Amino acid sequence: MSNVGDLQSLASSITAMTSPFRNYLIDLHEKYRSLNEGAVADYIPELALAKPEWFGVCVVTAEGQVFEVGNCDQLFTIQSISKAFVFGLALEDHGREYVNSKVSVEPTGEAFNSIVLDEATNRPYNPMVNAGAIATADLIKGKDGTERLKRVLEMFKRYTGREHDINVPVFLSEKATGNRNRAMAYLMLNFGMVSDKIDETLDLYFQQCSIMVNARDLAMLSATLANGGVNPVTKERAIDERYVQDVISVMLTCGMYDASGEWAYRVGLPAKSGVGGGITAIAPGKLGIGTFSPPLDAKGNSVRGIKVCEDLSKDFGLHLFNVASPERNLQEWIAGGDGVNDW
Amino acid sequence: MPKVVSIHSYRGGTGKSNFTANLATTVAALGSRVGVVDTDVPSPGIHNLFCLEPEQMGKTLNSYLWGEGAIEEAAYDISANVGVEGAGKLFLVPSSVKADDIARILKDGYDVRLMNDGFRNLVKALQLDYLFIDTHPGLSKETFLSIAISHVLIIILRPDKQDYQGTAVAMDVARQLNVRKVLLAINKAHSKLNPEALKQKVEETYSETVAGIFPLSEDIVQLASEGVFCVKYPEHPVSQEFRKVAQQIIEG
Repeated sequence: MSNVGDLQSLASSITAMTSPFRNYLIDLHEKYRSLNEGAVADYIPELALAKPEWFGVCVVTAEGQVFEVGNCDQLFTIQSISKAFVFGLALEDHGREYVNSKVSVEPTGEAFNSIVLDEATNRPYNPMVNAGAIATADLIKGKDGTERLKRVLEMFKRYTGREHDINVPVFLSEKATGNRNRAMAYLMLNFGMVSDKIDETLDLYFQQCSIMVNARDLAMLSATLANGGVNPVTKERAIDERYVQDVISVMLTCGMYDASGEWAYRVGLPAKSGVGGGITAIAPGKLGIGTFSPPLDAKGNSVRGIKVCEDLSKDFGLHLFNVASPERNLQEWIAGGDGVNDW
Repeated sequence: MPKVVSIHSYRGGTGKSNFTANLATTVAALGSRVGVVDTDVPSPGIHNLFCLEPEQMGKTLNSYLWGEGAIEEAAYDISANVGVEGAGKLFLVPSSVKADDIARILKDGYDVRLMNDGFRNLVKALQLDYLFIDTHPGLSKETFLSIAISHVLIIILRPDKQDYQGTAVAMDVARQLNVRKVLLAINKAHSKLNPEALKQKVEETYSETVAGIFPLSEDIVQLASEGVFCVKYPEHPVSQEFRKVAQQIIEG
């Protein structure tokens, strides 16, 4: 590498450290650190081990700048956030028409674990509820369970730029207590909506939910979608560009469980949450947000994560349909300069 | 809005700490709340000028970087030591002068992001109007950081070839880091040099403003490392030059 390149790269890592945008995130983290509402998920004992004070916020821009504050290295299980991305892989495996014939994309006011199928077509409502996610996992190609899991893990690696492991105790617990999900799978088998390799598909579903990620990974996942399906740091393509819009639009309409409508209205960022405490949110063309804080509200979304996304959306005008000038200009805050008062 | 001022020189021996001490004191004497952080962790020294003895130091910048306390716990009110009265206040965050501490920080390093966060916390906790950062000569991660965070970067140079070259390097870095305002200060200018011609030449070379020219002064040398010159001799031409630079920082 030339000296000029070295100077540039050192300078850019230093300006990321002193960027007013990072300072904004530090203040935001501080603002909500003491917000002690919600409860850590405890339907399996492994999730109840999460510390309520863990709190990480990471933003990755579509240009690949990384800003992180708090516990961004702490690993946790991805849970339902996996559903959006596995849906993308199913689309690559089979195309839109076939996948749509197996899973609808209609938001449901029902809870994520409801056992309800569309009465006319027998399809589960959307890929973000458990039934839809199981039907989606069923579509993942591979000669056996191992190869299918490997393909899912490789996909996540393309998005985040690093290897992922499964949390085995979480997987085994989910599997041991997953009778409701098993019931859904058999109901769908009864209607011919899923193949008969039920155990293998359920294993894959429980495994995909038990993938270990951190807040930075979540920001990388959404930044990759924000960047048209190409990881902005590694420059590797993670998903066929034709299906980026499918994943993002389903996240917008169904990503935040039965709070999705209000989320789309108030925050206006396509997002997906998980009961592990993660949220990944996308500002298309601009950036990806990853938050991690285990306490959840009654609808299963991270309390601090919601607040962080709300503030970022409002302060920088990131709402998809916002046309008013925001209070803060994102580019100026990232680059720094005289127009920015971050003190 | 508080202002961060970094004082940098490419080489050692330019009188950087002396300059920082005098300038910070001048600004505080004009009625502002001023903090000085000695980020010259490998060779701290500015505390001597402010008459803060090592035995009076409990926590230091090192303690903060090691997570042993908040940065404001390492800030010492030195207003009285330098005769700053009234609304003005002067605080110093010294680096540790213990050989063990210096060795530990050189050996283990630290997360340079903490420096950025510490500066901000210090400004908030002490409600500072100005934060002066005394840097280690040459280039390092922490000088890069202090340059990047600055609203005003002051580069001190002596009128000789080595400093001219070094300053050009520092200017390159400053531009790469999008620094907002650069002021040059010429120190130890020999009396036989014509100050106006010198100022013009340096400004043409770097396309930046020369904020002040300080002579090779025996008066300062005599007092070196024992106190703040401009407090003891407020009417001396050197002290007046410091007020000129202070004015440019306050107005700029």
